[in-house]
Amino acid sequence: MSYSLQLKDLWPSVRLGLLCEQKYGALLNNFSPVDHVTQELELLNATDFVSEAPRKAQRWQRGATAEEAGRGESRAQEGSGEGRTVMRAETMTQAEMSPPLRASISSNIKCYTFPRGDITRFRPARPDSLGLLDYYLMDAASLLPVLALDVQPDDFVLDLCAAPGGKTLALLQTGVCGHLAANDVSLSRTKRLYHILHSYVPKEIRETVSVTSYDGRDWGQLGGGTFHKVLVDVPCTTDRHSVMEEDNNIFHKRRTKERQMLPMLQLQLLMAGILATKPGGEVVYSTCSLSPLQNEHVIERAVEIAETEFNISIHVEDLSHFRTLFQDTFSFFSDCRLGELVLPHLTANFGPMYFCKLRRM
Amino acid sequence: MAGRLLSGCGRAAAVPRALPAAPGLCPRRGCGEAAALRAMGFSEEQARRLLGLQPRLGPQRREAAAAQLLLLGLSAEAALGLLERSPRLLRMPTEQLQERAGELRRLGLDGGQLQRAVSRCPQLFTLPRRRMAAAVRLLRERCLFTAEQLREVLGTCPAVLLEEPRLLHHHFQYAYFRMGVQQKEMVKARLFRMPFAELRNRHIFLERRGLYQTPHKGQTQTSNPKLKDILQLPEKDFLASLAHSTPEEYEVFKKLLAREEKEEEGEEEDRDVLYAEEDEDVDSKGSKRAQE
Repeated sequence: MSYSLQLKDLWPSVRLGLLCEQKYGALLNNFSPVDHVTQELELLNATDFVSEAPRKAQRWQRGATAEEAGRGESRAQEGSGEGRTVMRAETMTQAEMSPPLRASISSNIKCYTFPRGDITRFRPARPDSLGLLDYYLMDAASLLPVLALDVQPDDFVLDLCAAPGGKTLALLQTGVCGHLAANDVSLSRTKRLYHILHSYVPKEIRETVSVTSYDGRDWGQLGGGTFHKVLVDVPCTTDRHSVMEEDNNIFHKRRTKERQMLPMLQLQLLMAGILATKPGGEVVYSTCSLSPLQNEHVIERAVEIAETEFNISIHVEDLSHFRTLFQDTFSFFSDCRLGELVLPHLTANFGPMYFCKLRRM
Repeated sequence: MAGRLLSGCGRAAAVPRALPAAPGLCPRRGCGEAAALRAMGFSEEQARRLLGLQPRLGPQRREAAAAQLLLLGLSAEAALGLLERSPRLLRMPTEQLQERAGELRRLGLDGGQLQRAVSRCPQLFTLPRRRMAAAVRLLRERCLFTAEQLREVLGTCPAVLLEEPRLLHHHFQYAYFRMGVQQKEMVKARLFRMPFAELRNRHIFLERRGLYQTPHKGQTQTSNPKLKDILQLPEKDFLASLAHSTPEEYEVFKKLLAREEKEEEGEEEDRDVLYAEEDEDVDSKGSKRAQE
């Protein structure tokens, strides 16, 4: 497996990242008292990257605008506008913030990570007095698709390929899902999903989640146009494991057919996700692969098919602000045609994670 | 020349042995010895320093050791420096020093090479003979270096003889099997100059970046970077021109690799402990039954 053609000079560092121990983030369980945990984590020098990012962005923004204001002042007494600029930068209103900035602030999701270059590991999760675990260890990059989805209060949310359940749990952590449908075709993986729900989520919240085991491709017929937000986190070649595992490696010759069929499956799942969305609703497609065949190409085909076969107009949303916002935590690829891609890098060994947001017009 | 040097010691032997020979206390002793040393080629200052080493030592020993080193071709300052760093040499019997020098010469170290080797590695003299023979045997019979190659290895990396043979073998095997490097290249690249851990760091760094591949059986041509470059470039240049990476990335890598190593070792130890415990259980059960 080699992505040198696509990633060029970046490939050696990505390959190195894939072959070394990955970095984890601790998704805090908001259903469990979090204060002592945040204290503990902050003592270890970990920070919540989700809330850190907007704070940093505000500072950068303030810094940039103040610079302009400073230059303005030297031209001075021309207009009273200059003085106002500085003040405005300090109190950026919600309306002025970029959508992802707003989304991460209002998401309630908290995820702690150690700084760039810090390879400290988190201790295993511990149960509280009610038996709920305090945090869930996961690849922090997996939260980006959930943040991009930007669930609004009372939204009907569909997680089409929910198992094993990390992103499902993150969706629930927003605390605003009106109803969450968590589906996965694999019964065995769905067991893990149940386990996660029972370990982290109190009964009354679990009751707002319906877990199903349909083939995700059928969802279009089952629930057309009913969801405000749909997450399509498709099965993929899971490059991080593929590059290491010898025996059942999907890049082996005998699994070529399976590998070649994957983009077709992914496309079908995305189509189903689109059909399940209300007009005006949003879909986020994500994979943990570096392959454009599983990423941009699937998006392009889906947009085309939605238009030609279903008369549905799709708008691909711009997520480039994510790159700026989270640049201190993740290593982003800057040359995606569509969507965003987190690249593994030893100093920030998260990902791979590709995600792209679509709006059904 | 040795005879002349030895006769110089005769004068110093007149000193009564009952008194401890403290430097400067007995002017006659000091004068006699210092003169002998100066006759060998040491300056007044150098002689003073030499006399300061292991003051209790008899002058014969001191002069003999110094003489041996000069005979090897070392300069007065170099010989002095060596003795200052390795005072043990002073206590070695002359015959031993001579014998060892002879052995090293037979291995192919001579003239400037021997001087340099000995200066860099004074322990070459004090190394137990069996250890040295084991290292040589390993390099010739297990690693299959030719006599010529061995000579060059000893000339460039004399410390090789001081290595524990097991570790030395492991070092060689890593380069041979894991990196696919032949003896000729190992010698040219001065393989043993770099500590094994550092070699491993650099090699695995390149390998995981996709820049080094273990050659297949029979594969003669590879596009791997030359061992010489991997070993001899200073870290900064290695990172920039060979690995195309940054110091930051390499630092994190070294930490991660060290942790991987530690945990692998821990796992192996756990397995050993596990089996040991199982044996114990069987024993206790057996003995319990016997009691019942």
